[in-house]
Amino acid sequence: MNWLDFSSSSFIAAFFLYVISFIFYMVAVAGKKWANRVPKEHEARWSKRAFVISTLGLLAHLSFFFTRWIGSGQIPTSNMYEFITLLGMTIMIAYTIIHFIYKKPLLGMFALPLTIIIIAYASVFPQEVQPLIPALQSNWLKIHVTMAAAGEAFFAVGFAAGLMYLLRVIDYKDTTKKGKRAQRWLEFTLISIFVIIGFIVAAFAFKGAGYVAEFQQETVSVSQVGELTTSYEVVEYTMPPIFKPYNSETLQVTKFLGMNDGLFETPSWFNGVNSGRKLNTVVWSIIVGLILYGIIRLIVRKPLGAAIHPMLDGIDPDDLDEISYRSIVIGFPIFTLGGLIFAMIWAEIAWGRFWGWDPKEVWALITWLYYSAYLHFRLSRGWHGKPSAWLAVIGFVIVLFTLVGVNLLIAGMHSYAGVD
Amino acid sequence: MLLPVNTKCECGHQNAVGTVLCESCGKPIEKQLLDSNEPLEMRYDGVARRSQKANPDFLDKIWNFFSSVKIAIYLIIITFLGAMLGTIFPQASTFISANFNPSVYYAEQYGLPGQIYYFLGLHKTFSSWWFITLLVMIGTSLVICSIDRVLPLYRALNKQQIRKHHSFLKRQKATYSGQLTEEANVWTVQYGEALKKKGYKIHIDESGTALLAEKNRFSRWGPYINHIGLILFLLAVLARGIPGWNVDQYVSVTDGDTAPIAGTNYYVKSEGFSMELYNNEELPEELKDSGRVKTFKTDVVLYECTANCDDDFLQPELTEVKQHTILVNDPLRYKELKLHQFDFNLTPRINAVSPMIVNKETGESYGPFHLTMVNPELHYEVGPYTLELIDKYMDFSVNSDGEPITISSSPNAPAFIFNIKGPNLAATGEVYMYFPLEKDKVRFSQDTINRELANKIGINVEGMENVDYSAATTYLNVRIDKAVKFLWIGAVFSMLGLIMGTYWQHRRIWLRIDDKQLTLGAHTNKNWFGLRADAAYALKRCGIELDPKSLDNGGHKG
Amino acid sequence: MGKNRKKVQVIVLLLAFLIGGYAIFQTFTDDNNGTIKEGHAVPDFRLANLQGEPVSLQDYKGTPLVINFWGTFCEPCIREMPSFERQYTKWKEKGVEIVAINLSEDTLTVSNYVKKLGVTYTVLRDVDRKTEKRYGLRSYPTTFFVNSDGTLSSVFVGEMLEAQINEHIEDMIGG
Repeated sequence: MNWLDFSSSSFIAAFFLYVISFIFYMVAVAGKKWANRVPKEHEARWSKRAFVISTLGLLAHLSFFFTRWIGSGQIPTSNMYEFITLLGMTIMIAYTIIHFIYKKPLLGMFALPLTIIIIAYASVFPQEVQPLIPALQSNWLKIHVTMAAAGEAFFAVGFAAGLMYLLRVIDYKDTTKKGKRAQRWLEFTLISIFVIIGFIVAAFAFKGAGYVAEFQQETVSVSQVGELTTSYEVVEYTMPPIFKPYNSETLQVTKFLGMNDGLFETPSWFNGVNSGRKLNTVVWSIIVGLILYGIIRLIVRKPLGAAIHPMLDGIDPDDLDEISYRSIVIGFPIFTLGGLIFAMIWAEIAWGRFWGWDPKEVWALITWLYYSAYLHFRLSRGWHGKPSAWLAVIGFVIVLFTLVGVNLLIAGMHSYAGVD
Repeated sequence: MLLPVNTKCECGHQNAVGTVLCESCGKPIEKQLLDSNEPLEMRYDGVARRSQKANPDFLDKIWNFFSSVKIAIYLIIITFLGAMLGTIFPQASTFISANFNPSVYYAEQYGLPGQIYYFLGLHKTFSSWWFITLLVMIGTSLVICSIDRVLPLYRALNKQQIRKHHSFLKRQKATYSGQLTEEANVWTVQYGEALKKKGYKIHIDESGTALLAEKNRFSRWGPYINHIGLILFLLAVLARGIPGWNVDQYVSVTDGDTAPIAGTNYYVKSEGFSMELYNNEELPEELKDSGRVKTFKTDVVLYECTANCDDDFLQPELTEVKQHTILVNDPLRYKELKLHQFDFNLTPRINAVSPMIVNKETGESYGPFHLTMVNPELHYEVGPYTLELIDKYMDFSVNSDGEPITISSSPNAPAFIFNIKGPNLAATGEVYMYFPLEKDKVRFSQDTINRELANKIGINVEGMENVDYSAATTYLNVRIDKAVKFLWIGAVFSMLGLIMGTYWQHRRIWLRIDDKQLTLGAHTNKNWFGLRADAAYALKRCGIELDPKSLDNGGHKG
Repeated sequence: MGKNRKKVQVIVLLLAFLIGGYAIFQTFTDDNNGTIKEGHAVPDFRLANLQGEPVSLQDYKGTPLVINFWGTFCEPCIREMPSFERQYTKWKEKGVEIVAINLSEDTLTVSNYVKKLGVTYTVLRDVDRKTEKRYGLRSYPTTFFVNSDGTLSSVFVGEMLEAQINEHIEDMIGG
């Protein structure tokens, strides 16, 4: 078995170990109330098992990383799939470190699913090793990308702790306007997570079924001097076309639920040849996500936040506040050094200018400014607790936009290879 | 405030007006503060911040505005929101073509949103006056915030008293009170020893019953060093606006050519551009035959002009100074100049041909003779023939009046008109039109143009060895950046300050023993969790075992 | 800080105002990079004429000068040259000189065209596009009207009609 095959197996092993670990955490919390158990002991015992499993998962994940490196001859950080799996790995490392400092195992109950969702998301993208284009052939690839991922991993753990804080502290019995608003925003956050899960489910389901639809799109583009040129491109969809590309002709569509052509046409003001497909994907993600959310909501018969709230009863919210803050504080210098400074040095060497206001660079700066605002907020009294937790949650959304949104929505020098 | 305020503490120390906690013993000065039970505000250890004056004048008002952390946060938020706007559509600076027309492009490419974008000037967000103003304000805030805080902090931390007032100790965010059974002096020393193991510096007063343990004071300076670094960074960014400090332009060099670098005395010669693609074995399935580039590079020679540099009549004299193979991640560096590989163009350009002239009547061919596209010789003797070059066109075409013209200055369709003298030709010579490129011979019907002369003479290039052409043109990015080294220095300071301030925390533990009554208070700027653990550890070593959480007195709020 | 406080405040705020002001001011003036502004001195040149003799900008000091950049591949440049020739004849006694700088083409090509067009004003040949770059040319033809003191009176991008050339020369001498 060669290195790359071993690497793929390690990855699958890591994924399953993470899932098992998550289940153990759930057992630790939910099983507290089962008969014949001393709650504290039960929780402690199962948490310990969960942590051991998650650590084994991390070891498998590290093995995936290093064997892929050996097998491909280049560090696995150069395309979307590799980078996001790296992020999942660094989040687990960050979680493990935070765990050793604070010894609060229930953080795992949120850190694990976060990691699982992230590496599942990564798996949607092409997984083959892609040889490096000239711009990436540098040692800085190893340093800049890994450190940026490490910094962002701590922001992710801060996000998880912040989310836990909100679920712990937002009172579902509060009927004032303020209280209801807080509940609704929290629910919205949870639904958003479901939309991401929806994307992953939809992507795998339709790809697994081999779904294909093709359109030929006619686009008129404007050159830099104002000249108009017409071009024809074939756009391939891997999900049923709810929104087909603007101004396109249907070539072939696999039948799905009676749909054998695009239902709607993407509006003309959507830019770019793949914009129709991206819109379609987003719409599917929302649909599937809402369906999944709806099913769970039907089962628990109350807002999801209200359902999770009692599980967090045994945790001191101030600890969560401290963990959230501490994670971000630890991650900030790492992100500054790896995500900004090393990036600037590398840009100077490769492109001759340390900063070009490229969208990715700008969003990295936005992330940095946002978290520095967060740190300055914490200097003021009254900004601990809920406001701080919300900021930690929003901050990670900005991180995700920088990593994923910029690549998918905005063009630029920084676009990753192998983006679907 | 006109009424005199008594600021002399019961411990005997005379404090400045505005002092919150006595500089000597820490007792709250104001009666209201003294009576409350809230955890104490420990900023600057309660020392009077003389910047908070009673009657601020105009200058003070501006100063206070920039000194405020709240304002700084607003500035940061507005800046990143503004930056977000700059990423919606591509910025004008990303288009390097001289023909880019922003007033037309955004409206045409993006419709109404594009039009609005252009109208608001957002296509130049990052060089707009409001964005620069924000950066200037942040810079000013960095300077003033830091000056305003670092001096009071230094004064406060420099002269610290060991024996603190009871209310100071009891109202710290981590505190403990209890009875002791041991001898006070002995216990104090024991406690000190325990903390020494955790790296604290121990100070015990003359009575032996009061102790101050301090650790990592240096970390308090972290944020200020960070701010100095950021200020230096911003100044370096600004300095790039000084004329000549930042050169960013492009030079295109076709293989074999030497091109001047505008604005400098340098010339760069391309010894050849080369590009390599990944072959199919190196690529995964879906990328096969995709033409993925493996490497592209240019071998260059850099010259410096040593004489006649501004003189285009006499040729500038060039001296070679450096040779380098420029790759994307490996620019040419010479003194302050850098040449980066930017782009390339694989359109070949014909430079010269070496054709034979054929006497079609006898079948003999003579030559070859060397004919360059640029500045060719005007007179050629080839065998029995004499060729005079009387006209040439680089890119031959015929205009609407049927006259020959050239449509560009690049040799895309070169044409040469010779007056040829030789065997069986008129004594004054006969005019012959020659197209070196085969496609042009056909397109312009060379034989028809030359009429009967075409039956007597042929000019042919035999084999590709007799064609001199350049395979590619390389585009290099020319960079001179004198400010960038200050930038890196600023970045280093900034990182240093960040690391100092975040990964170490300033911790202080005070205690006093009065008649076997122990009063202990502790303070840190961050990470109360760790501070409580330290205090509890030492207590345990002195026989008092407790959960660190029990020391908490509001310290959990940060 | 104490007594020095006022001094420090003044120095810091003044520096911030000056440096910041300079930075903000720059955002308003950066728009035209490379183009020569009216009233400013035009760049030097020293180029060969068709007889192979050197001619430089300095030779025209004290004379109002029209500098026309042209190429044989540029149809509008060729079209406007007779107009320039006529204007040259008209304004010669007033001391106005015209110089046509060719965009780095071969001597043979240039002299053939000049002979064909019957142009009598000085024709110079640029080398390696250096002069055209120094003059910030973006498109062809471009004509510079230079005062006798060597500063730019006006610049015209594109083909010129004889009436326009006349107007610009009048402004140049008058101004």
